[in-house]
Amino acid sequence: MGAVASSARGGRGGEGTVLGDLPESCVAEVLLRLDPPEICRMARLSRTFRGAASGDGVWESKLPRNYARLLAVAAAGDGGERQAAAAAALEAESLPKKEVYARLCRRTRFDGGKKEFWLDKGGRGICMSISSMALSITGIDDRRYWNFIPNDESRFHTVAYLSQIWWFEVRGEVEFCFPEGTYSLFYRVHLGRPFKRLGRRVCSSEHIHGWDIKPVRFQMSTSDGQQAQSKCYLTDPGVWINHHVGDFVVKDSSKPTNIRFAMIQIDCTHTKGGLCVDSVVVKPQYLRQKKLTRCYV
Amino acid sequence: MASAGSGDEKAATVTLISSDNEHFEVPEAVATLSQTIRHMIEDGCTDGGVPLPNVTGRILAKVLEYCNKHAAASDKDELEKFDKAFVDIDDQATLFDLVMAANYLDIRGMLDLTCQTIADMIKGKSVEEIRETFNIKNDFTPEEEAEIRRENQWAFDD
Repeated sequence: MGAVASSARGGRGGEGTVLGDLPESCVAEVLLRLDPPEICRMARLSRTFRGAASGDGVWESKLPRNYARLLAVAAAGDGGERQAAAAAALEAESLPKKEVYARLCRRTRFDGGKKEFWLDKGGRGICMSISSMALSITGIDDRRYWNFIPNDESRFHTVAYLSQIWWFEVRGEVEFCFPEGTYSLFYRVHLGRPFKRLGRRVCSSEHIHGWDIKPVRFQMSTSDGQQAQSKCYLTDPGVWINHHVGDFVVKDSSKPTNIRFAMIQIDCTHTKGGLCVDSVVVKPQYLRQKKLTRCYV
Repeated sequence: MASAGSGDEKAATVTLISSDNEHFEVPEAVATLSQTIRHMIEDGCTDGGVPLPNVTGRILAKVLEYCNKHAAASDKDELEKFDKAFVDIDDQATLFDLVMAANYLDIRGMLDLTCQTIADMIKGKSVEEIRETFNIKNDFTPEEEAEIRRENQWAFDD
Protein backbone atom coordinates (compact mmCIF):
# COMPACT_ATOMS: atom_id res chain seq x y z
CA MET A 1 0.00 0.00 0.00
CA GLY A 2 2.11 2.91 -1.17
CA ALA A 3 1.13 6.50 -0.72
CA VAL A 4 0.10 8.09 -3.97
CA ALA A 5 0.39 11.79 -4.57
CA SER A 6 -3.11 12.48 -5.81
CA SER A 7 -5.61 14.47 -3.85
CA ALA A 8 -8.88 12.99 -2.75
CA ARG A 9 -11.97 14.96 -3.60
CA GLY A 10 -12.57 17.35 -0.74
CA GLY A 11 -9.69 15.91 1.28
CA ARG A 12 -6.39 17.38 2.25
CA GLY A 13 -4.44 18.04 -0.89
CA GLY A 14 -1.32 16.13 -1.84
CA GLU A 15 -1.78 12.94 0.19
CA GLY A 16 -4.55 10.46 0.61
CA THR A 17 -5.64 6.99 -0.30
CA VAL A 18 -7.18 6.68 -3.72
CA LEU A 19 -9.23 3.94 -5.32
CA GLY A 20 -6.15 2.70 -7.11
CA ASP A 21 -4.49 1.98 -3.76
CA LEU A 22 -7.01 -0.65 -2.79
CA PRO A 23 -5.66 -4.20 -2.80
CA GLU A 24 -7.16 -6.48 -5.43
CA SER A 25 -9.29 -8.30 -2.85
CA CYS A 26 -11.00 -5.02 -1.95
CA VAL A 27 -11.49 -4.04 -5.57
CA ALA A 28 -13.06 -7.46 -6.12
CA GLU A 29 -15.50 -6.75 -3.27
CA VAL A 30 -16.59 -3.58 -5.05
CA LEU A 31 -16.85 -5.32 -8.43
CA LEU A 32 -19.09 -8.02 -6.96
CA ARG A 33 -21.65 -5.29 -6.42
CA LEU A 34 -21.64 -4.11 -10.03
CA ASP A 35 -23.40 -5.74 -12.97
CA PRO A 36 -21.41 -7.35 -15.82
CA PRO A 37 -21.44 -4.41 -18.24
CA GLU A 38 -20.22 -2.16 -15.42
CA ILE A 39 -17.45 -4.63 -14.55
CA CYS A 40 -16.34 -4.61 -18.19
CA ARG A 41 -16.30 -0.83 -18.06
CA MET A 42 -14.04 -1.00 -15.00
CA ALA A 43 -11.59 -3.18 -16.94
CA ARG A 44 -10.87 -0.21 -19.17
CA LEU A 45 -9.78 2.10 -16.34
CA SER A 46 -6.20 1.00 -15.72
CA ARG A 47 -3.97 -2.06 -15.51
CA THR A 48 -4.87 -2.76 -11.90
CA PHE A 49 -8.58 -2.69 -12.66
CA ARG A 50 -8.17 -4.77 -15.78
CA GLY A 51 -6.71 -7.54 -13.63
CA ALA A 52 -9.34 -7.32 -10.94
CA ALA A 53 -12.15 -7.15 -13.49
CA SER A 54 -11.05 -10.47 -15.00
CA GLY A 55 -11.04 -12.33 -11.71
CA ASP A 56 -12.74 -15.70 -11.69
CA GLY A 57 -14.23 -15.01 -8.26
CA VAL A 58 -16.10 -11.99 -9.54
CA TRP A 59 -17.47 -13.65 -12.69
CA GLU A 60 -18.38 -16.91 -11.05
CA SER A 61 -20.71 -14.98 -8.78
CA LYS A 62 -22.47 -13.59 -11.86
CA LEU A 63 -22.94 -16.91 -13.62
CA PRO A 64 -26.10 -18.96 -13.16
CA ARG A 65 -25.58 -21.95 -10.94
CA ASN A 66 -25.93 -24.46 -13.76
CA TYR A 67 -23.52 -22.68 -16.10
CA ALA A 68 -21.54 -25.85 -16.84
CA ARG A 69 -24.64 -27.52 -18.22
CA LEU A 70 -25.62 -24.45 -20.22
CA LEU A 71 -22.12 -24.33 -21.64
CA ALA A 72 -22.47 -27.94 -22.76
CA VAL A 73 -25.68 -27.06 -24.61
CA ALA A 74 -23.88 -24.09 -26.14
CA ALA A 75 -20.97 -26.29 -27.21
CA ALA A 76 -23.32 -28.83 -28.77
CA GLY A 77 -25.08 -25.98 -30.52
CA ASP A 78 -21.74 -24.78 -31.86
CA GLY A 79 -21.80 -27.86 -34.03
CA GLY A 80 -19.97 -30.38 -31.89
CA GLU A 81 -20.84 -34.04 -31.57
CA ARG A 82 -22.11 -35.37 -28.29
CA GLN A 83 -18.64 -36.46 -27.25
CA ALA A 84 -17.25 -33.07 -28.10
CA ALA A 85 -19.96 -31.47 -26.01
CA ALA A 86 -18.99 -33.61 -23.03
CA ALA A 87 -15.37 -32.68 -23.53
CA ALA A 88 -16.40 -29.06 -23.77
CA ALA A 89 -18.20 -29.38 -20.45
CA LEU A 90 -14.99 -30.62 -18.85
CA GLU A 91 -13.19 -27.74 -20.44
CA ALA A 92 -15.71 -25.40 -18.90
CA GLU A 93 -13.99 -25.86 -15.60
CA SER A 94 -10.70 -24.58 -16.98
CA LEU A 95 -12.09 -21.65 -18.98
CA PRO A 96 -11.83 -18.25 -17.33
CA LYS A 97 -15.26 -17.51 -15.92
CA LYS A 98 -15.44 -14.21 -17.74
CA GLU A 99 -15.13 -16.08 -21.03
CA VAL A 100 -17.84 -18.50 -19.95
CA TYR A 101 -20.08 -15.55 -19.21
CA ALA A 102 -19.35 -13.87 -22.53
CA ARG A 103 -19.99 -17.13 -24.41
CA LEU A 104 -23.34 -17.69 -22.72
CA CYS A 105 -24.40 -14.13 -23.57
CA ARG A 106 -24.07 -14.99 -27.25
CA ARG A 107 -27.17 -16.53 -28.73
CA THR A 108 -27.01 -20.32 -29.14
CA ARG A 109 -29.26 -22.24 -31.53
CA PHE A 110 -30.48 -25.65 -30.53
CA ASP A 111 -33.18 -28.15 -31.45
CA GLY A 112 -32.31 -28.15 -35.11
CA GLY A 113 -31.81 -24.40 -35.16
CA LYS A 114 -35.44 -23.66 -34.32
CA LYS A 115 -34.81 -22.42 -30.81
CA GLU A 116 -32.18 -20.17 -29.33
CA PHE A 117 -31.14 -19.17 -25.85
CA TRP A 118 -28.81 -16.61 -24.34
CA LEU A 119 -27.83 -15.26 -20.93
CA ASP A 120 -29.11 -11.80 -20.18
CA LYS A 121 -26.10 -9.50 -19.89
CA GLY A 122 -27.35 -7.55 -16.94
CA GLY A 123 -28.41 -10.37 -14.71
CA ARG A 124 -28.49 -14.09 -14.25
CA GLY A 125 -31.53 -15.11 -16.22
CA ILE A 126 -31.78 -17.03 -19.46
CA CYS A 127 -33.74 -15.66 -22.41
CA MET A 128 -35.14 -17.98 -25.03
CA SER A 129 -36.76 -17.59 -28.40
CA ILE A 130 -38.78 -20.46 -29.91
CA SER A 131 -39.37 -20.07 -33.62
CA SER A 132 -42.75 -20.52 -35.26
CA MET A 133 -41.14 -23.44 -37.08
CA ALA A 134 -40.89 -25.27 -33.75
CA LEU A 135 -44.54 -24.70 -32.88
CA SER A 136 -47.49 -27.03 -33.55
CA ILE A 137 -49.84 -25.00 -35.69
CA THR A 138 -53.17 -26.52 -36.60
CA GLY A 139 -53.59 -26.41 -40.36
CA ILE A 140 -49.99 -25.46 -41.07
CA ASP A 141 -49.84 -27.87 -43.98
CA ASP A 142 -52.71 -26.22 -45.78
CA ARG A 143 -51.50 -23.30 -47.84
CA ARG A 144 -55.00 -21.85 -47.95
CA TYR A 145 -54.63 -21.16 -44.25
CA TRP A 146 -50.97 -20.86 -43.26
CA ASN A 147 -47.70 -20.15 -45.04
CA PHE A 148 -44.19 -19.68 -43.84
CA ILE A 149 -42.93 -16.42 -45.28
CA PRO A 150 -39.49 -14.80 -45.11
CA ASN A 151 -39.22 -11.86 -42.73
CA ASP A 152 -36.07 -10.08 -41.64
CA GLU A 153 -37.73 -8.69 -38.55
CA SER A 154 -37.62 -12.20 -37.15
CA ARG A 155 -34.52 -13.69 -35.49
CA PHE A 156 -35.21 -16.80 -37.55
CA HIS A 157 -35.89 -14.88 -40.76
CA THR A 158 -39.15 -16.79 -41.16
CA VAL A 159 -42.59 -16.28 -39.69
CA ALA A 160 -45.84 -18.18 -40.01
CA TYR A 161 -48.51 -16.11 -41.75
CA LEU A 162 -52.21 -16.86 -41.41
CA SER A 163 -54.50 -15.84 -44.25
CA GLN A 164 -57.66 -17.16 -42.68
CA ILE A 165 -58.91 -20.07 -40.60
CA TRP A 166 -61.81 -21.14 -38.41
CA TRP A 167 -59.77 -23.08 -35.91
CA PHE A 168 -56.80 -21.06 -34.68
CA GLU A 169 -54.49 -23.05 -32.45
CA VAL A 170 -50.75 -22.53 -32.00
CA ARG A 171 -49.12 -24.78 -29.43
CA GLY A 172 -45.59 -25.47 -28.35
CA GLU A 173 -43.38 -27.06 -25.77
CA VAL A 174 -39.86 -26.63 -24.51
CA GLU A 175 -37.74 -28.51 -22.01
CA PHE A 176 -34.68 -26.75 -20.65
CA CYS A 177 -32.58 -26.39 -17.55
CA PHE A 178 -33.51 -22.83 -16.73
CA PRO A 179 -31.45 -21.25 -13.93
CA GLU A 180 -33.39 -20.52 -10.75
CA GLY A 181 -35.65 -17.51 -10.98
CA THR A 182 -38.97 -16.24 -12.24
CA TYR A 183 -39.65 -16.09 -15.96
CA SER A 184 -42.29 -14.53 -18.21
CA LEU A 185 -43.58 -16.12 -21.40
CA PHE A 186 -44.84 -14.22 -24.45
CA TYR A 187 -46.20 -14.86 -27.91
CA ARG A 188 -44.63 -12.49 -30.42
CA VAL A 189 -47.19 -11.70 -33.13
CA HIS A 190 -47.99 -9.04 -35.72
CA LEU A 191 -51.32 -8.10 -37.22
CA GLY A 192 -50.92 -7.60 -40.93
CA ARG A 193 -48.24 -8.73 -43.31
CA PRO A 194 -45.07 -6.62 -43.35
CA PHE A 195 -43.01 -6.33 -46.49
CA LYS A 196 -40.67 -3.91 -48.21
CA ARG A 197 -41.66 -1.69 -51.07
CA LEU A 198 -38.95 0.43 -52.64
CA GLY A 199 -36.81 -0.06 -49.53
CA ARG A 200 -39.50 1.16 -47.13
CA ARG A 201 -41.38 -0.98 -44.66
CA VAL A 202 -45.02 -1.37 -45.52
CA CYS A 203 -47.76 -3.42 -43.92
CA SER A 204 -50.59 -5.09 -45.76
CA SER A 205 -53.81 -5.40 -43.81
CA GLU A 206 -55.71 -7.22 -46.55
CA HIS A 207 -56.40 -10.38 -44.55
CA ILE A 208 -56.89 -8.88 -41.09
CA HIS A 209 -60.27 -9.87 -39.71
CA GLY A 210 -62.01 -11.67 -36.89
CA TRP A 211 -59.82 -10.67 -33.96
CA ASP A 212 -62.26 -8.18 -32.55
CA ILE A 213 -65.15 -10.62 -32.33
CA LYS A 214 -63.90 -12.91 -29.59
CA PRO A 215 -60.67 -12.66 -27.59
CA VAL A 216 -57.70 -14.92 -28.11
CA ARG A 217 -56.82 -17.16 -25.16
CA PHE A 218 -53.27 -17.80 -23.99
CA GLN A 219 -52.30 -20.67 -21.70
CA MET A 220 -49.19 -22.17 -20.22
CA SER A 221 -48.33 -24.94 -17.80
CA THR A 222 -45.16 -26.46 -16.39
CA SER A 223 -44.21 -30.02 -15.56
CA ASP A 224 -44.33 -29.19 -11.85
CA GLY A 225 -47.90 -27.99 -11.95
CA GLN A 226 -47.66 -24.24 -12.44
CA GLN A 227 -50.28 -22.74 -14.71
CA ALA A 228 -51.22 -19.39 -16.11
CA GLN A 229 -53.60 -17.98 -18.64
CA SER A 230 -54.68 -14.71 -20.13
CA LYS A 231 -56.82 -13.46 -22.95
CA CYS A 232 -57.18 -10.37 -25.06
CA TYR A 233 -58.48 -8.99 -28.32
CA LEU A 234 -55.74 -8.53 -30.88
CA THR A 235 -55.47 -4.92 -31.97
CA ASP A 236 -52.86 -2.50 -33.35
CA PRO A 237 -51.87 -3.72 -36.78
CA GLY A 238 -48.41 -2.96 -38.09
CA VAL A 239 -46.35 -3.54 -34.96
CA TRP A 240 -44.85 -6.59 -33.29
CA ILE A 241 -46.46 -7.22 -29.96
CA ASN A 242 -45.30 -9.54 -27.18
CA HIS A 243 -48.47 -10.88 -25.59
CA HIS A 244 -47.79 -11.89 -22.01
CA VAL A 245 -49.12 -15.36 -21.27
CA GLY A 246 -47.95 -15.71 -17.69
CA ASP A 247 -45.02 -16.32 -15.39
CA PHE A 248 -43.40 -19.42 -13.96
CA VAL A 249 -40.87 -20.04 -11.21
CA VAL A 250 -37.86 -22.33 -11.45
CA LYS A 251 -36.59 -23.54 -8.09
CA ASP A 252 -34.04 -26.17 -9.12
CA SER A 253 -31.76 -25.53 -12.06
CA SER A 254 -30.31 -29.05 -12.02
CA LYS A 255 -33.58 -30.52 -13.28
CA PRO A 256 -35.05 -29.59 -16.66
CA THR A 257 -38.26 -27.58 -16.63
CA ASN A 258 -40.85 -28.58 -19.21
CA ILE A 259 -43.24 -25.86 -20.34
CA ARG A 260 -46.24 -26.15 -22.61
CA PHE A 261 -48.02 -23.17 -24.05
CA ALA A 262 -50.88 -22.41 -26.38
CA MET A 263 -52.56 -19.55 -28.21
CA ILE A 264 -56.12 -20.43 -29.16
CA GLN A 265 -59.16 -18.98 -30.81
CA ILE A 266 -61.43 -21.84 -31.84
CA ASP A 267 -64.84 -20.25 -31.94
CA CYS A 268 -65.95 -21.58 -35.27
CA THR A 269 -68.74 -19.12 -35.85
CA HIS A 270 -66.21 -16.78 -37.42
CA THR A 271 -62.93 -16.94 -39.29
CA LYS A 272 -59.87 -14.93 -38.40
CA GLY A 273 -56.73 -14.07 -40.31
CA GLY A 274 -54.05 -11.59 -41.30
CA LEU A 275 -51.69 -12.56 -38.51
CA CYS A 276 -47.93 -13.24 -38.39
CA VAL A 277 -46.72 -15.53 -35.63
CA ASP A 278 -42.98 -15.11 -35.15
CA SER A 279 -42.06 -16.88 -31.96
CA VAL A 280 -42.64 -17.64 -28.33
CA VAL A 281 -40.29 -15.74 -26.05
CA VAL A 282 -39.19 -16.53 -22.50
CA LYS A 283 -37.45 -13.84 -20.47
CA PRO A 284 -36.54 -13.32 -16.84
CA GLN A 285 -39.36 -11.50 -15.13
CA TYR A 286 -37.10 -8.61 -14.12
CA LEU A 287 -36.73 -7.70 -17.79
CA ARG A 288 -40.44 -7.24 -18.24
CA GLN A 289 -40.44 -3.87 -16.61
CA LYS A 290 -37.47 -2.65 -18.59
CA LYS A 291 -38.59 -3.31 -22.12
CA LEU A 292 -41.69 -2.06 -23.85
CA THR A 293 -44.00 -4.88 -24.71
CA ARG A 294 -44.82 -3.18 -27.97
CA CYS A 295 -42.07 -2.45 -30.40
CA TYR A 296 -41.96 -1.65 -34.03
CA VAL A 297 -39.46 -4.28 -35.05
CA MET B 1 -5.10 -3.85 30.15
CA ALA B 2 -5.32 -7.50 29.29
CA SER B 3 -8.63 -9.31 29.23
CA ALA B 4 -10.03 -9.65 32.72
CA GLY B 5 -10.53 -13.14 34.17
CA SER B 6 -13.84 -14.44 35.49
CA GLY B 7 -15.02 -12.99 38.78
CA ASP B 8 -14.10 -9.47 37.67
CA GLU B 9 -17.17 -7.23 37.58
CA LYS B 10 -15.80 -5.22 34.68
CA ALA B 11 -16.65 -6.68 31.23
CA ALA B 12 -13.72 -8.17 29.38
CA THR B 13 -11.85 -5.65 27.27
CA VAL B 14 -9.05 -5.73 24.77
CA THR B 15 -6.58 -2.99 23.85
CA LEU B 16 -6.13 -2.11 20.20
CA ILE B 17 -2.99 -0.21 19.18
CA SER B 18 -3.09 1.79 15.96
CA SER B 19 -0.15 2.20 13.57
CA ASP B 20 0.57 5.63 15.08
CA ASN B 21 0.57 4.16 18.59
CA GLU B 22 -2.83 5.30 19.83
CA HIS B 23 -4.32 2.93 22.35
CA PHE B 24 -8.01 2.09 22.40
CA GLU B 25 -9.49 0.00 25.20
CA VAL B 26 -12.54 -1.71 23.80
CA PRO B 27 -15.07 -4.16 25.27
CA GLU B 28 -14.56 -7.62 23.76
CA ALA B 29 -18.19 -7.72 22.71
CA VAL B 30 -17.52 -4.73 20.47
CA ALA B 31 -14.06 -5.75 19.27
CA THR B 32 -15.22 -9.18 18.19
CA LEU B 33 -17.28 -7.67 15.40
CA SER B 34 -13.90 -8.01 13.75
CA GLN B 35 -13.35 -11.69 12.94
CA THR B 36 -9.63 -11.08 12.90
CA ILE B 37 -9.66 -9.82 16.48
CA ARG B 38 -12.13 -12.51 17.52
CA HIS B 39 -9.70 -15.22 16.39
CA MET B 40 -6.86 -13.55 18.22
CA ILE B 41 -8.88 -13.44 21.44
CA GLU B 42 -9.83 -17.08 21.02
CA ASP B 43 -6.20 -17.97 20.47
CA GLY B 44 -5.34 -16.08 23.63
CA CYS B 45 -2.75 -13.74 22.10
CA THR B 46 -4.18 -10.40 23.13
CA ASP B 47 -2.13 -9.85 26.29
CA GLY B 48 -0.45 -6.49 26.15
CA GLY B 49 -2.75 -5.32 23.43
CA VAL B 50 -3.28 -6.02 19.76
CA PRO B 51 -1.09 -4.03 17.39
CA LEU B 52 -2.81 -3.03 14.16
CA PRO B 53 0.00 -1.75 11.95
CA ASN B 54 -2.32 -1.27 8.99
CA VAL B 55 -4.80 1.07 10.63
CA THR B 56 -4.19 4.64 11.78
CA GLY B 57 -5.70 6.01 14.97
CA ARG B 58 -8.03 8.28 13.05
CA ILE B 59 -9.47 5.40 11.05
CA LEU B 60 -9.56 3.02 13.99
CA ALA B 61 -11.66 5.54 15.88
CA LYS B 62 -14.19 5.53 13.06
CA VAL B 63 -14.15 1.73 12.87
CA LEU B 64 -14.87 1.55 16.57
CA GLU B 65 -17.69 4.04 16.13
CA TYR B 66 -19.24 1.51 13.72
CA CYS B 67 -18.58 -1.47 15.96
CA ASN B 68 -19.94 0.27 19.06
CA LYS B 69 -23.17 1.13 17.30
CA HIS B 70 -23.65 -2.29 15.73
CA ALA B 71 -22.80 -4.23 18.87
CA ALA B 72 -25.31 -2.24 20.91
CA ALA B 73 -28.28 -1.30 18.75
CA SER B 74 -30.79 -3.80 17.52
CA ASP B 75 -33.33 -1.55 15.81
CA LYS B 76 -33.04 -2.08 12.07
CA ASP B 77 -34.18 1.42 11.12
CA GLU B 78 -31.82 3.00 13.61
CA LEU B 79 -28.89 1.03 12.21
CA GLU B 80 -29.88 1.94 8.67
CA LYS B 81 -29.90 5.61 9.52
CA PHE B 82 -26.55 5.28 11.24
CA ASP B 83 -25.01 3.43 8.29
CA LYS B 84 -26.22 6.03 5.83
CA ALA B 85 -24.67 8.84 7.88
CA PHE B 86 -21.52 6.78 8.47
CA VAL B 87 -20.66 6.64 4.77
CA ASP B 88 -21.78 10.16 3.99
CA ILE B 89 -18.17 11.30 3.76
CA ASP B 90 -16.84 14.04 1.55
CA ASP B 91 -13.34 12.70 1.84
CA GLN B 92 -12.83 9.75 -0.51
CA ALA B 93 -9.53 8.84 1.12
CA THR B 94 -11.29 8.10 4.40
CA LEU B 95 -13.80 5.91 2.62
CA PHE B 96 -11.03 3.84 1.01
CA ASP B 97 -9.14 3.62 4.31
CA LEU B 98 -12.32 2.27 5.88
CA VAL B 99 -12.66 -0.36 3.12
CA MET B 100 -9.12 -1.52 3.72
CA ALA B 101 -9.59 -1.54 7.49
CA ALA B 102 -12.83 -3.51 7.15
CA ASN B 103 -11.05 -5.98 4.89
CA TYR B 104 -8.03 -6.33 7.18
CA LEU B 105 -10.10 -6.60 10.34
CA ASP B 106 -12.70 -8.77 8.60
CA ILE B 107 -15.80 -6.82 9.61
CA ARG B 108 -18.38 -8.10 7.16
CA GLY B 109 -21.08 -5.51 7.70
CA MET B 110 -18.71 -2.58 7.35
CA LEU B 111 -17.09 -4.10 4.27
CA ASP B 112 -20.54 -4.54 2.67
CA LEU B 113 -21.51 -0.98 3.53
CA THR B 114 -18.35 0.74 2.30
CA CYS B 115 -17.98 -1.35 -0.86
CA GLN B 116 -21.63 -0.80 -1.75
CA THR B 117 -21.09 2.93 -1.32
CA ILE B 118 -18.19 2.87 -3.76
CA ALA B 119 -20.17 0.70 -6.18
CA ASP B 120 -22.99 3.24 -6.05
CA MET B 121 -20.52 6.00 -6.91
CA ILE B 122 -19.46 4.00 -9.97
CA LYS B 123 -22.88 3.04 -11.31
CA GLY B 124 -24.14 4.99 -14.25
CA LYS B 125 -20.81 6.66 -15.00
CA SER B 126 -18.82 6.40 -18.19
CA VAL B 127 -15.19 5.29 -18.15
CA GLU B 128 -14.01 8.89 -18.33
CA GLU B 129 -16.31 9.99 -15.56
CA ILE B 130 -15.12 7.17 -13.31
CA ARG B 131 -11.49 8.12 -13.96
CA GLU B 132 -12.27 11.71 -13.09
CA THR B 133 -14.25 10.92 -9.95
CA PHE B 134 -11.55 8.70 -8.53
CA ASN B 135 -8.48 10.29 -10.01
CA ILE B 136 -7.40 7.15 -11.83
CA LYS B 137 -4.54 7.41 -14.23
CA ASN B 138 -4.94 5.72 -17.58
CA ASP B 139 -1.75 3.69 -17.83
CA PHE B 140 -2.60 1.86 -21.05
CA THR B 141 -0.86 2.33 -24.35
CA PRO B 142 -3.24 3.21 -27.20
CA GLU B 143 -2.84 -0.34 -28.56
CA GLU B 144 -3.66 -1.87 -25.20
CA GLU B 145 -6.68 0.38 -24.88
CA ALA B 146 -8.00 -0.68 -28.27
CA GLU B 147 -7.47 -4.33 -27.37
CA ILE B 148 -9.34 -4.01 -24.09
CA ARG B 149 -12.19 -2.17 -25.75
CA ARG B 150 -12.48 -5.04 -28.23
CA GLU B 151 -12.36 -7.79 -25.66
CA ASN B 152 -15.08 -6.17 -23.60
CA GLN B 153 -17.30 -5.07 -26.45
CA TRP B 154 -19.56 -8.11 -26.05
CA ALA B 155 -20.97 -6.57 -22.88
CA PHE B 156 -22.28 -3.58 -24.78
CA ASP B 157 -23.46 -5.10 -28.05
CA ASP B 158 -27.01 -6.19 -28.47
